[in-house]
Amino acid sequence: MSAWDIIVMEAPRFFTWWNIRFLLQAVGNTLVASVLGCAIGYGFGFVLAALRLPQLVPFAPLRALCILWVETFRRIPFLVLLLLVFFLSQFAKLEAPLWTVAVAAVAIRMSALAAENIRAGLEAVRPMQWEAALVMNMPPWMALFRVILPQAWRVILPPSIAHVLSMVKETSLVSQIGFIEITFAAKMLTQRGFSALLTYGSALVLYFFVGWALAALGRWAERRLTSRSPASPPAALPLQTR
Amino acid sequence: MPGAAIRVVLQYGQILQYLPDFLVGAAMALWIAALAFAGGLMIGLFGAAVLTFGPWPARALVGAYVRFFTWTPQLVQIFFLFFALPEVGITLSPVTAVLIGMTLNAGAYLTEIERGGFASVPRAELEAAECMGFSRVQVVWHVIAPHVVRALYPALSNHYIIMTLGTSMAAIFGVEELTGRALNANAISFRSVEIFSLVAGIYILLTIIASTLLWLVGRWMFRIKAKVF
Repeated sequence: MSAWDIIVMEAPRFFTWWNIRFLLQAVGNTLVASVLGCAIGYGFGFVLAALRLPQLVPFAPLRALCILWVETFRRIPFLVLLLLVFFLSQFAKLEAPLWTVAVAAVAIRMSALAAENIRAGLEAVRPMQWEAALVMNMPPWMALFRVILPQAWRVILPPSIAHVLSMVKETSLVSQIGFIEITFAAKMLTQRGFSALLTYGSALVLYFFVGWALAALGRWAERRLTSRSPASPPAALPLQTR
Repeated sequence: MPGAAIRVVLQYGQILQYLPDFLVGAAMALWIAALAFAGGLMIGLFGAAVLTFGPWPARALVGAYVRFFTWTPQLVQIFFLFFALPEVGITLSPVTAVLIGMTLNAGAYLTEIERGGFASVPRAELEAAECMGFSRVQVVWHVIAPHVVRALYPALSNHYIIMTLGTSMAAIFGVEELTGRALNANAISFRSVEIFSLVAGIYILLTIIASTLLWLVGRWMFRIKAKVF
């Protein structure tokens, strides 16, 4: 049977109201888990990046600890991190629900990525700004929030949206612990007897549209923000003018 | 606290017997990533060339391929190859499905990376090649590709290490790389926390060693002074 035959024959049986509603609920779960995890991860990542500033924290071992955290959780695959958080929560007898484990894993991963991103953004602001603010007797935290961050966030935001997109894709691995997101919904539907071509195809299409929305958001943010930023974004590649 | 009557103690001694197994799995992860990276590099070179020089239908096609494979998760791509293709008669073994999926995924990302590198080639060299009568294919292979490899070495090495971490999802299909062997050991011994913390440590060491080696190769062979990963 060719693919076209399968799709034409199975589609009416597959695209029922219940199935579509189930898949859309799974999309909702995916988005909630990733956005919540990203928000928490970004908050924590900001703390990590801020603690790495020598102007704010002149205490080297704390900075070293932050670097250690970031380097550790950048270098662990998400599946291993997820399983580790899952089994640790069982070991500590926390009896956490699945979505908590999922959000915690996403948050830890995101904190490492966010810390790197925010650090790059903070370093993109000219060092004179720090010195000027500190010379005027501003406490370092006030200098960070009132002087540096308003200039840095335009550089931080566009890559952050790309990171959010990559975390939405990584939530597909959360299906392995049984959290009902898009991939798990597709697997459930396959086990119920629907054609795998249609179930996993629908999953791919759903992820594609979510990715399209986020990528469009990222492009809009990059266009509107980086051209007007007083901080220069880090140059990625040597570009020779034609 | 519910269940607090049972006291569980971490016992790393019991899982040390799996360490050689895990190290072989780590080598397999590097190998799978290397194969997929090589394939992706070729696809990326072709795709970047089409995006820079090709007619608009070809550019639209390559653009659609890149967008599809970068906006969808690698796991679902491999699920599709492994579970959906048998319905049309194409049955792939787990390793083959993982390799094809990872190659296609890497090809999309590397097309984007290499397209940025194409812009870094000095215009004078392109004009000189055109004067000497090079065909488009010859220009890409002899002039652009060497420049692209040097300019993009940090970005390419970074992506290779990300791919090495990405091989962990092959465990879901039964491939015996590091995470797969961890899941097997977990099924035998039930020492989950010990095994996965050990495997996490092995991944960290693996990426540190790999990125240091790639940085050294970059410095000595290509004289590139950029940091990798």
